[in-house]
Amino acid sequence: MKKTIIAALLLGSAAGAHADAAGGPGCGWGNMLFEGQSGMPMHLLATLVNGTSGNATFGMTTGTNGCDTSGALSYSGKSLLSMNGVLEEVAMDMATGQGEALTALSVSLGVPAEERAHFNQVMHQNFSVIFSRDDVTAGEVADQISAVMQSDEILAKHI
Amino acid sequence: MPPGIPAFIAVFLLILALPRPLMASTAEELAAAPRWQALLHINRGATLRSRDQSYVDDDRFFMAENGRTDPLAELQSAAEVLGQPGAEQRCRFPARYRYLAEALGWQEAEPFAHCDEYLSWRAGIPDASVVLVFPAAYLNSPSSMFGHTLLRFDAADQQSDWHAWAVNFGALVTADDNSIFYIYRGLAGGYPGRFSTVSYVSKIQEYAHLENRDMWEYRLGLDADEISWMIDHLWELKDVDFDYYFLDENCSFRLLELLEVARPRVDLLSDLRFAEVPVNTVRAIDEAGLVASRLYRPSKAVELEQAGEALSADERRMAVRLMKDVSLAAQGEYQTLPPERRHLVARAAYQASRFRDRTRDNNEQAAANSYRLLQLMHANAAPELAAIRPPEPPERGHATQMLAVSGGQREDNGFAEIQYRLTYHDWLDNHRGFLDGAWIEALNLRVRREESDRWRLWQLDLVNIRSLAPRTAFVRPTSWFVHAGIDRPEVAGQRDATRFVRGGPGLAWRVGRWLPYGYLQARIENNDNLDPFINSGGGAELGLLRHGDHYSLHLSGESLYFADDQYRHRGQIGVQLPITQQNGIRLSALHDEWRGGRETSWMMTWRYYFD
Repeated sequence: MKKTIIAALLLGSAAGAHADAAGGPGCGWGNMLFEGQSGMPMHLLATLVNGTSGNATFGMTTGTNGCDTSGALSYSGKSLLSMNGVLEEVAMDMATGQGEALTALSVSLGVPAEERAHFNQVMHQNFSVIFSRDDVTAGEVADQISAVMQSDEILAKHI
Repeated sequence: MPPGIPAFIAVFLLILALPRPLMASTAEELAAAPRWQALLHINRGATLRSRDQSYVDDDRFFMAENGRTDPLAELQSAAEVLGQPGAEQRCRFPARYRYLAEALGWQEAEPFAHCDEYLSWRAGIPDASVVLVFPAAYLNSPSSMFGHTLLRFDAADQQSDWHAWAVNFGALVTADDNSIFYIYRGLAGGYPGRFSTVSYVSKIQEYAHLENRDMWEYRLGLDADEISWMIDHLWELKDVDFDYYFLDENCSFRLLELLEVARPRVDLLSDLRFAEVPVNTVRAIDEAGLVASRLYRPSKAVELEQAGEALSADERRMAVRLMKDVSLAAQGEYQTLPPERRHLVARAAYQASRFRDRTRDNNEQAAANSYRLLQLMHANAAPELAAIRPPEPPERGHATQMLAVSGGQREDNGFAEIQYRLTYHDWLDNHRGFLDGAWIEALNLRVRREESDRWRLWQLDLVNIRSLAPRTAFVRPTSWFVHAGIDRPEVAGQRDATRFVRGGPGLAWRVGRWLPYGYLQARIENNDNLDPFINSGGGAELGLLRHGDHYSLHLSGESLYFADDQYRHRGQIGVQLPITQQNGIRLSALHDEWRGGRETSWMMTWRYYFD
């Protein structure tokens, strides 16, 4: 466990109090919206040699959230959300109504390009439902997004 | 059927299927061909270590016992092994198989039918185009100062770059490493280097969001065939150990090797490439005509900077107050703004809060504040957001090494000076393509000859790094500098070589195009004419830097007081005029005062930058 945390620190990713959440150590489902991603100062040293952690991945795992080690590198919308730092990017884009994180999320969820504007609009309108608290977790956000899409005529088919 | 017969049939079939024999002369040609040499990672003169043998320090990578040192022996063994249908090694070395199959005319419909793991990996990796990614330096982070390079593989129907694959070469570090050994081993080659693939979004998070490094993405003009060579070879590098050396055999160097596999005729690695600075890699591929297009991905720091610039001074003050206390949004001053401006003010405040807190531990109050800023952004509809203005791309900057000649005068003595610098940039060097206030030099040597004297070492900077990070309404970074080397101040009436280390923290601001700054300074030095062995002092430096369109200007004054009651004051002014990308003229003047003397000198320098 200690080894995992340090390796995660080396990569500057979160390994905070929620590292033990469902999915195994280092899994990001329990990550909160504003999860701290501290890793200094070891991280500075890792940067110097562009360090790779002890279990260097080679495409058979998502490699970053520590949850999913089976599938190829493509990920569903859910596992994208559990990746460190992605949740707050999605939150900002939803509050705005557009952005790269929201696009990435819609691609993960299988929403085609022609429905993207609608997806963005629905997500923007439901911002307060999806991000209901300042300590909402990735798992809760994923569930809310599913629920919102389910109740939308056009987006329901993607759930 | 007697038990011997199936075996007999198998052997017979095998003989039929065997490739035609390898002629000695053909074999030699094939082994000497650039692509075979690239596939084996043979050093053809790019670095000093292990010339004419493979960089790969891993027996599993070779089929011949002496494969590391003998490409021909490896080719012969490989032809023998990989020529067998169903050979297990084909799954490990698909690019080598392909090379031999094409050269020797082997024809098999499905040579990898038995390689499930390889085939599923190959089917999963996006292969429509390849992008070289250069995360540039972030000013205040010393470890990032040279930048990094990695590759990205994009799918044809990729609608979001976040879903691309990143291929990274880095030192393989373990959790047990103590930090000091870490640096040492990283520099001295104590770590194995490996390739790894991760999702590109995690690299965006790492560089642009956490380390605040701008990312430059260069789409390479490789065709499908070339990309497929690269991917097949990448598979051969899975779990293969290279040595990792910070200076030459680093991330960038290994990527050049991959490019050589894709397109052997680019010939990127025949010349010596000592101190492979990542930006040189970008320049090398640019000059080789490999770059099809370029995209800029701003860091969070740049986004915040430009979000602040988009506000009026009043709005900026409001944003700073909101950052501290969101409840002020209820007040009239904020409420009288049009909704779109309210969004922009809240947005800047949010970006600044996250910039500050992103790398800190969880903090309930900060989270509550950030969340309410998000709600404020949500409540006020966003205007059309302006695209981030990219800076000058890094490959347009001057080359990393420098030679300079100077003529000048110190008091009544004329002098000539020659200077060589291994790397990289100071405040006055041609500014195009570099960050404001960036200064990082290593191995900077100046030899001088004064009238009626001989050539003498005048100054040697082993390391000289300065960060000048302006403080704004939103961010309050601390600047710093560190400098170690040999110089010649007047000590005890002599101007002998003095070994020194100095450094200190500082503050900097931006006023229009001026960058005023101040540093505190501590200095320890050792001079043969002096007792005690180590002399120590402290002081301060104040200065002004300006990067104009066609010049850079620097003015500074510093004072140092030593434990043995000596003091030194120095005032200086310098201006550099870029002539071309690789040439510049610098004028500088110095005035020094110390206990017992003073002098003034000036000089004019021609600085020539080269790879």
